[in-house]
Amino acid sequence: MLELKKLYFTIQDDDVDNGIPRNIIDGINFTFEKGKFYVITGPNGSGKTTLAKLIMGINPISSGSIIFEGKDISKLSITERAKLGIAYSFQQPARFKGITFRDLLAIATGNNDEKKFLEMVARVGICPLSFLDKEVDATLSGGEIKKIELATTIAANPKLAIYDEPDTGIDLWTIGPMVSLLKKELSPNTTTIVVSHNRAFLDAANVIIIIDKGRIVYTGDLKSALPLLTDLSICAYHNNCERDQDAGCLR
Amino acid sequence: MLDALDKKLLKTVADLEGLPKGAYNIRKNGKLLDRQKSANIDIETNAEGTGIIVTIKPHTKNESVHIPVILSQAGLFDLVYNSFIIGEGAEVTIVAGCGIHCGTSEPEGHAGIHDFQVGKKAKVTYVEKHFAMGDGSGRRTLNPTTKVFLDEGATAEMELTQISGVDEADRLNEATLGPGSLLLITERVLTEGEQRAVSTNNIIMQGSGSRANMISRSVMKGNSKQIFHATMNALAKCFGHIECDAIIMDNGTNETMPALKALHPDAELTHEASIGKIANDQLTKLMSLGLTYDQAVNRIIQGFLK
Repeated sequence: MLELKKLYFTIQDDDVDNGIPRNIIDGINFTFEKGKFYVITGPNGSGKTTLAKLIMGINPISSGSIIFEGKDISKLSITERAKLGIAYSFQQPARFKGITFRDLLAIATGNNDEKKFLEMVARVGICPLSFLDKEVDATLSGGEIKKIELATTIAANPKLAIYDEPDTGIDLWTIGPMVSLLKKELSPNTTTIVVSHNRAFLDAANVIIIIDKGRIVYTGDLKSALPLLTDLSICAYHNNCERDQDAGCLR
Repeated sequence: MLDALDKKLLKTVADLEGLPKGAYNIRKNGKLLDRQKSANIDIETNAEGTGIIVTIKPHTKNESVHIPVILSQAGLFDLVYNSFIIGEGAEVTIVAGCGIHCGTSEPEGHAGIHDFQVGKKAKVTYVEKHFAMGDGSGRRTLNPTTKVFLDEGATAEMELTQISGVDEADRLNEATLGPGSLLLITERVLTEGEQRAVSTNNIIMQGSGSRANMISRSVMKGNSKQIFHATMNALAKCFGHIECDAIIMDNGTNETMPALKALHPDAELTHEASIGKIANDQLTKLMSLGLTYDQAVNRIIQGFLK
């Protein structure tokens, strides 16, 4: 349902690397199948969030193409991609002044059905009724705003849902139910991509994708991924590391 | 009587469909159009004939007074002095506002000088909206002044809004807070084109245990400019906060100057101020929910000025 073809995202900064272009996403080819639960993981700075943002259109691709349900969406705006059924849950959700949770849900669903809203709110583990009319502003805790972010993504009833580190700021007790919620949302029509390091998500994945230095280094199940994950998770400088040479650490 | 234009202006500035319930005083083109008193609310023309005195009996509850001003006479600058005396323990809502319709190239304007004496433990909610419209090129000016004196334990909640169409505005808000009193001001100003708006706020926290919160929200479109001054003078143990946010669109400019003066060792004063364009993450979020860029901008501004 989603195909990434020779995808590149290149930056060129005169102050960094002497102005030599650097590929943040370095030629990714991958096909996501309809209805599956994918978890993208990998070291910090490996390109996970960048890849997710390329799919949503938040960052423009440098070259290659993104095919969604047979249609090339590479040049489409964020709005157009949202209208095609792609939804995105931000790692650090925006905070507004004067916009309530209810307003965001109304924008996401295109209607004002209170009963539906309450159902949604309860599902993401936000209980009190009053929460609906709370402003999505700086007074919300990190966990509260992440739940709101999640609810607006689910509310859009997307064909493709992308969650960037949905567990940041969420208490331990909520992570389990959150994973099952996201999986439950997985009707045959929804494909889910979660960017996460959290074991609970890795356990739930149909397919794990490990990215390192802008390339896919592994796709498959968790069991075979574990040795690689253990290795990668220790240090982001593993490729340059001199290991037992006893040289200075690059970190 | 009210014509179609009057009705539109009244609807916009006072949310009125026709004449209001309860006490009211409607002023049109510098003259009294209609007035109604109630058992607890008295409205009289002042001795100089330059405005009205509204007196609210002590312990009046859940009543309101509407005092809108409408202007549609070319070349008129209407200056009015209104006084509000709110009796002890009363709870009242005062809805003021000025709507200007400018149909010619001649300027029109209004300056409402309002003073409030809020009695012990009384609570007043003051809602003021300013708006101008019309095809005429004449400048529309609104220069309001509000002076508030809060007695012991009194509360004043003021919502001051300038919606659109006002070419020049120079506002002055002054307040003196007695012991244990509370002042809440929310000011919202939208300017566009070549409009200018200045807002000057001086809050004197005189009484022990007084509290004040001043919120200002500004949006500058086109080449418009806004200047915001807010000074809190704390002369006693008190708590004061100023929050001023400005969103710049197009080529708008803004100067914001919050000032905190703690002249008492137990004064607690804080402020937060920000000026900038609409945050990108807000736009991206709303677009990812399916709004276009323009729809997202409008939604954010609408919320910001809500």
